[in-house]
Amino acid sequence: MKVSIALGGIALAASLATTAQADKLDDIIASGTLRCAVVLDFPPMGSRDASNNPIGFDVDYCSDLAAALGVKPEVVETTFPERIPALMSGSVDVAVASTSDTLERAKTVGFSIPYYAFENAVVASEKSGITDADGMKGKVVGATAGTYEAIWLEEQVKSWGAGEFRPYQNQADVFLALSQGQLDATVSTMEVAQANVKTGNFPGIQIVDKAPMVPDYVALITLREEYGLINFMDLFVNQQVRTGRYAELYKKWVGEGEPASLTIPGVYR
Amino acid sequence: MFNTGLTSNDLWLLAQGAGMTLLVTAIAVSLGTILGIIFGVLRYQLGPWWALPLTFVLDVFRSIPLLIQLILANAFVNMILVPTLKIGKVSGFTVACGVLAMYTAAYCSEIVRGGIEAVPANLRRASRSLGMSWGQDMWNIVMPLATRVALPSWIGLALGVMKDSALVYIVQVPELLKNTQILITRLQEPLLLLMICGLFYFLISFPIARFGGYLEKRWSND
Repeated sequence: MKVSIALGGIALAASLATTAQADKLDDIIASGTLRCAVVLDFPPMGSRDASNNPIGFDVDYCSDLAAALGVKPEVVETTFPERIPALMSGSVDVAVASTSDTLERAKTVGFSIPYYAFENAVVASEKSGITDADGMKGKVVGATAGTYEAIWLEEQVKSWGAGEFRPYQNQADVFLALSQGQLDATVSTMEVAQANVKTGNFPGIQIVDKAPMVPDYVALITLREEYGLINFMDLFVNQQVRTGRYAELYKKWVGEGEPASLTIPGVYR
Repeated sequence: MFNTGLTSNDLWLLAQGAGMTLLVTAIAVSLGTILGIIFGVLRYQLGPWWALPLTFVLDVFRSIPLLIQLILANAFVNMILVPTLKIGKVSGFTVACGVLAMYTAAYCSEIVRGGIEAVPANLRRASRSLGMSWGQDMWNIVMPLATRVALPSWIGLALGVMKDSALVYIVQVPELLKNTQILITRLQEPLLLLMICGLFYFLISFPIARFGGYLEKRWSND
């Protein structure tokens, strides 16, 4: 009996403690630091510079979010699979880690509106004369076997009824084949395409267009029940686009060109 | 012939990691040893039955893998302690030192208990019959003898904890192995970097091992 009263007392105290507790948004502002989970082996979104400091789109985005909250940013390096556990165990406040907004994940964590979208680029050899995505029709195209882009391209070739699809072992081989003229065009993630064209290792290739594929939308995440913070992050993402900071960061980390549109026509959010 | 992207900056990062490893180990081993001595003496004095709860807790720390202890302790601190006690954020460093200290204490209490048990009972009876108090007996008779017995195991424990401290990266402490991994990700030269990392570990542990050997030799002569 006494034990049960004591237990009841503890439970009551615990529930009182929880009701009196401020939400995460208040906690972050009160603590003066925003801890962001960022993946640092994923350039240009996250990597390290020559003196091993974290750099990249996501790192800058975290700093911007911290500045908006009036606190100091703290980048906590995580791997892709560690992002959500780090959030759940409370070792970070938010994850700015290129997290695709899948419905499966939304059962566990709370997503903001998308803050970035990974688009696919059409990369063509200069000799092929391809100037846009439609120009690939009937040409020899290729991509890294088994990837999303390869599956899409192979289906395209089938639907054209002309042209040829060639699978390759890795991304470097694809660009090499393109540079040597074995391929007319390929499709790869815009960021990868930009980085490879920039290296100058593959002369005679250029990004000609965006591929008409559904982009991979990524969003900021925090705990599912932190509506105050999610609401703040939604508005923050909106402000980043509105003020031109989104385009500025895109230019700084990805390259020239239009950043992906973060809205989907015909639907809210 | 031998090209590497490694710069002096990166070596400095590794040295900082080694410093962090040393710091975590030093704090964990000193705290753990003090706690281990207290627990060991308590367990010996209380006898197997009364010490059962303490033995059980220490066995928990000894038998659960350190990695799991670190993750669970970190989650416990951040999800339960911080919100209920309304304390500010607790750093991973604090959690790492706390967990490693308890882990050391659990092993150390066994070593201490073994050391005390190794002192012949007759010798202790003799000291008590000379009129020594329990404290005097412990300080003047048991401690010098038990220390000699326990020293080799204790050195082994300290070295073990130093190498186990590589696991504290999981609570975001930038120690030697974590910093090596950071460089591996950036430079893609795993073999060279792991060799340097191993060298750093060797440079830290070798003097400790030699110092232990020296103490053993010196103390066995009297």
